[in-house]
Amino acid sequence: MNDVGGMQGFPPVPQEPDEPPFHADWEAHVFAINGALIGRGVYNLDEFRDAVERIPAQEYLASSYYERWLRGITMLLAERGIVTEEDLAGG
Amino acid sequence: MSADHAGPAAGPAATVRRLEALLEQRGLIDAGQLDRALGTFLARASPANGARLAARAWMDEGFRQRLLADANAALPELGLSMGGGLQEQRLKVVQNTTDSHNVIVCTLCSCYPLALLGPSPTWYKSEAYRSRVVRDPRTVLREFGFELEPRVAINVWDSSAEARYMVLPRRPAGTEDLGEPELAALVTRNGLIGVAPL
Amino acid sequence: MADLFRIGDTVRASRVDPPHHTRLPRYARGAAGTVTDLLGRYPLPDRSARRLAAEPEPVYAVAFAARELFGEGDHTVTISLWESYLQPAAAEPRGTDTAAATSLPARLRRDAPRGRP
Repeated sequence: MNDVGGMQGFPPVPQEPDEPPFHADWEAHVFAINGALIGRGVYNLDEFRDAVERIPAQEYLASSYYERWLRGITMLLAERGIVTEEDLAGG
Repeated sequence: MSADHAGPAAGPAATVRRLEALLEQRGLIDAGQLDRALGTFLARASPANGARLAARAWMDEGFRQRLLADANAALPELGLSMGGGLQEQRLKVVQNTTDSHNVIVCTLCSCYPLALLGPSPTWYKSEAYRSRVVRDPRTVLREFGFELEPRVAINVWDSSAEARYMVLPRRPAGTEDLGEPELAALVTRNGLIGVAPL
Repeated sequence: MADLFRIGDTVRASRVDPPHHTRLPRYARGAAGTVTDLLGRYPLPDRSARRLAAEPEPVYAVAFAARELFGEGDHTVTISLWESYLQPAAAEPRGTDTAAATSLPARLRRDAPRGRP
C-alpha cells in the first residue's frame, strides 16, 4: 500500500499551516525509539520499511503515519521475541 | 482504562509508554538519552539550515557551484552536515532556473533531508502528495498557490534510495541590497521542497 | 567491480513485481530512462530487508519522461535506482537519436542549455 506514486484518485494535498514537528509527544517518542533501535542494530532501516509495508492493508490505511511506525516497530520486536503482544498488553 | 495497560484498545500514547518501559527494562533504550537525542535533533535540524545554504549560494558564486557539485563537501562551510542521523546521507542540491523548476518527493515512504530541514510536514508524507506530484506536479503546485509559467519545465525527484534532495530556489528580483540573513529569511521550507517559488 | 552504466546511458527498469520489499516504484516498471548521475554504492534493500548478504552496488539517478511513465505530461521524474533494477535499454543503431527514442526532453541531454538560475 505504500507504493502510491502515480496512483489516481487521491484528494487535494492536505495542508496544515504552521504545523508542529510532531502532533503529540508519543509521535516524537516513536521517532526517537526507532532511531535508537536501528542505531543499536536491533533491526536495520530496510527491515523497518519492510515491516511497515507488511502491515495488513486495512490496518495500514486506517492508521496515521506514526501509528504505522509504531506498528512496524512492535511487529519487528515481536518477530525477534524482544517484546511480545502479551508483554505490551500485560501489567 | 489504566495508563499502565496497553491492550488492543489502548491508544498509541499508552502503547508507547508501555513499550518504552519494556525496552528500558531490556536495556535497549535509555529514556533520558532518548529525550536528549530528540532535543538535540529538533534544536539543530530546521528549514533555517536550508535557507542559510540558499542565501549563501545566492551571494557567493563559488559556494553555489561547490554546493551543486558536491553538497556534502560544501555543507561544513556553514557548519552544517547530513550526519547526526543513522548514517551520513548523500545530499544533492538541485537549482531552479528561469527555464526549469524542481520539486522533491518520496513516493515509497517519506524520505526527506531531515538532518538539514528537520521533521517533514504531514502533507509531504501524505498519499495525496506522493501519488499526485509525480504524475501531475503542475496541479499540485497550484494547490499550494504556486502557478508556474507553462514554459518552465518541471523536474520531480523521487528519493527512492539513499540520496536526499533539496531545492535551491531562484533569488528573487530586487534583493540586491539585502544581506545574507535577510535573504535567508525569505526562504521557506516549501521553497526548499519545491512547492513554492521561495 | 565496475559500474554497469555511465551517465548518459539509456536504461530500462525491471518489469518484475517482487513479493518482497523493493525500492523500484511501481510506476517506473518497464520504463526507459537516462542515467543522469551516480549516487554511490549501497547494499540492495530487497536483500538487506530480509537480512540476506548484499554487497554494495551502484545506485543511479535515472531521469524518465512523464510521457514514458504515464502516457502524458511534459515533466521529468528522476528516480534513484539500484543497478539490480536496471538493464541496458535496447541498443540503438548508429545515428539514431537515443534521447528522442526515450522521449527525453532536449534540456536533459548532456550539454543541453540549462537556463539562468
